[in-house]
Amino acid sequence: MRTIFHVDMDAFFVSVEELLDPSLKGKPVVVGGQAGERGVVSAASYAARKFGIHSALPLRTAAKLCPHAIFLDGHPKLYREYSHRVHEVLMEFSPLVEMASVDEAYMDLTGTERLHGPPLKAAHALHERMKSKTGLNCSVGIASSKMVAKVSSDQAKPNGVLWIQPGLEADFLAPLDVRRIPGVGKVTERHLAELGIKKVGDLARLDAPFLMRRFGQWGLALAGKARGADAGAWFDGGIGGEDDPKSVSHEHTFSEDTSDAARLDATLVHLTEKVARRLREYSLHARTVHLKLRNSAFETLTRSHTLHQPTQVDQELIEAARAMFKAAWVAGRKVRLIGMGVSGLDTDAGQMGLLDSPRHERAMKALEAADKLRKKFGEKTVALAAGMAADAPERVHENPAGLPGKRKGVD
Amino acid sequence: MEFTVSKADLVRELNLSQGVVEKKATIPILSNILVEASEDRLTLTATDLELGIRSVMPAKVRTAGTGTIPAKRLLDYVRLLPESEINIKFSDTHWASLTCGRSRSRIAGMSRESYPELPEMPATTVEVSLSALTSLVQKTIFSISNEDSRFTLNGALLQVAEGGMTMVSTDGHRLALAHQGGCAGDAAPSKALLPKKAMVELLKISAEAGGEDVKIEYAADDNHLFFRLGDRLLMSRKLTGNFPDYERVLPRSHAHVITLNREEFRSTIERVAQFADERTRAIKVRLADNEAKIHSSLSETGESEESLGIEYVGPTVEIGFNAQYLLEFLRAVPEAEIGFHFKDGQSAGELRPAGDAVAYEYRYVVMPMRI
Repeated sequence: MRTIFHVDMDAFFVSVEELLDPSLKGKPVVVGGQAGERGVVSAASYAARKFGIHSALPLRTAAKLCPHAIFLDGHPKLYREYSHRVHEVLMEFSPLVEMASVDEAYMDLTGTERLHGPPLKAAHALHERMKSKTGLNCSVGIASSKMVAKVSSDQAKPNGVLWIQPGLEADFLAPLDVRRIPGVGKVTERHLAELGIKKVGDLARLDAPFLMRRFGQWGLALAGKARGADAGAWFDGGIGGEDDPKSVSHEHTFSEDTSDAARLDATLVHLTEKVARRLREYSLHARTVHLKLRNSAFETLTRSHTLHQPTQVDQELIEAARAMFKAAWVAGRKVRLIGMGVSGLDTDAGQMGLLDSPRHERAMKALEAADKLRKKFGEKTVALAAGMAADAPERVHENPAGLPGKRKGVD
Repeated sequence: MEFTVSKADLVRELNLSQGVVEKKATIPILSNILVEASEDRLTLTATDLELGIRSVMPAKVRTAGTGTIPAKRLLDYVRLLPESEINIKFSDTHWASLTCGRSRSRIAGMSRESYPELPEMPATTVEVSLSALTSLVQKTIFSISNEDSRFTLNGALLQVAEGGMTMVSTDGHRLALAHQGGCAGDAAPSKALLPKKAMVELLKISAEAGGEDVKIEYAADDNHLFFRLGDRLLMSRKLTGNFPDYERVLPRSHAHVITLNREEFRSTIERVAQFADERTRAIKVRLADNEAKIHSSLSETGESEESLGIEYVGPTVEIGFNAQYLLEFLRAVPEAEIGFHFKDGQSAGELRPAGDAVAYEYRYVVMPMRI
């Protein structure tokens, strides 16, 4: 039986903002941009949430719901810094920490009773430690599976601890809305509602083969989840486990569809640079490069190309991505989304090249230096000039590079 | 047009053209063979627009003329006929009537008009020793790239200079260079990229022409290469583009060299490579204390190691190689002893035939694998 902690920082961005400016405390605060701007809410204070404001809500809608809220652009760099501090605190409790995003983490505390005492005592200590070290509140969910731990931390909010004792998982989940299950979104919720299923308990009463027929593999995962098991996609596998990713990808949706060739190219370069950075982070070399384009009519086009030599070098991936883009994109056609990814990942580059070796080796050395700078001074310290014009705002929800986590953007 | 040929002659020449005839029916006429009868001979031409082959054989020509006929259908049928004379007559409607003993068949052909015009062989040619040319081809053909995207590597560089011939091929991981002096007649220095498919056909047409002093005529125009051997002419479009600057890649010196028995080395690698990853084919060569250890392992399913006695007292060096790459050289090199030149696990290794009797140059440069 495992003992899993899910630690979720309470209103993380807003709390960090409050540390900067204590006068914000208790007020409706919205992080993500100014009231009239295009864009979405990244975080809202508890006071703002009372007005129905939540993350991913358009800023303009938020402004309508609560005109007197304080709108902040936010400080992504600072959030990352605090994220590292949070990570440090967690590491004091267990070496098996997996940052699921910038403000939440899973920890495996199985077998630490003699060190930290029973789960609730450990959670209490963690709470105190977190507050004293970072000045931030967090909520802790404890269970025998990651899935239930995550659901329980949500129920524990704000600043609480909830321990679901082994054997009681199904009872705990039963009265909750199906939406509470991680992975169940609007679509699944609607499909389940069509079957008359609203609560997790209703779902748990259905047998797996039925759900399998209805929803495929996802149905099987749902059946497991309803009973409190870690099933499906990212809940599979242990914490901090070194399961190598099968692919790495990044994509960007333009705030407004664009046919600006320079902007598209810059975005493609920027995405590729991020993908290459991840490859080097995992010490992987990619053999196949993928391109994804979606137009205004929501039609999606994908292309892939296999390289003659696996690589983790920006320039080599960019070359392939650009060639595919050039062949796939009709000049003037509006693009809604552009994505770039790699697969066919190998832990070693294997065969060394005879002809491109000096160039490749030089690029590798330059990138090694660039990555060191990034590690020390932040991800944005160095970037390819060609990608700098990309209008990819920082995705603060992403798990920062440098912290352990299930690889995001990796499937 | 009407003529009579021997079945054996016809089958032999049709066989040669099979590799050239277009198999995909994108351009139907290219699936046909061009037949031209005049005086006392029959000329067969096949092409896929990249490659062309033309051969001449004796025939009793009743009425001269030309026509085309599906190459595969013709060969498949004629092959089954008894060893005797075949009479072929083309009608005005492009049908070919074949008569052989009591067999009679008709095959629908196509008008000669739509058959592509093939280039003429230039008047200026160089005489090259056939055995030297085929030897160069055999020593380099295996390291040609099979990746269509790297089209300048889909063939070998053929250089003629100072009475000698050099052929170089590479796939980006290894490079084979073979040079034979004194095998070519006087000619202005020339360089051309010979497609792999042409090399395969060259080996085919030369297989039947034995003998030590057989010469093949070589010529080139702006876009094509020509090889004439007796009554057979092979034409190939040149590969366009620039072959990599291979001289830059050839190691100037190596820190160490050892001599190995080719057969021993080859059979050792063949055995050990049974335990190499199927895709990477990686094996490890460890050199130290008068011993070469060849090792490979499949995670959790097996491993193998063999050692060979060598003369080597240098520092311990461990190099990873694609076993396939080493084997292809070891199967192509005729000498019993080979020299293995190396520096370390990050630098290119090189294999050469060893011994004083080697009267030609053969260098095989292989990049290691990271292990």
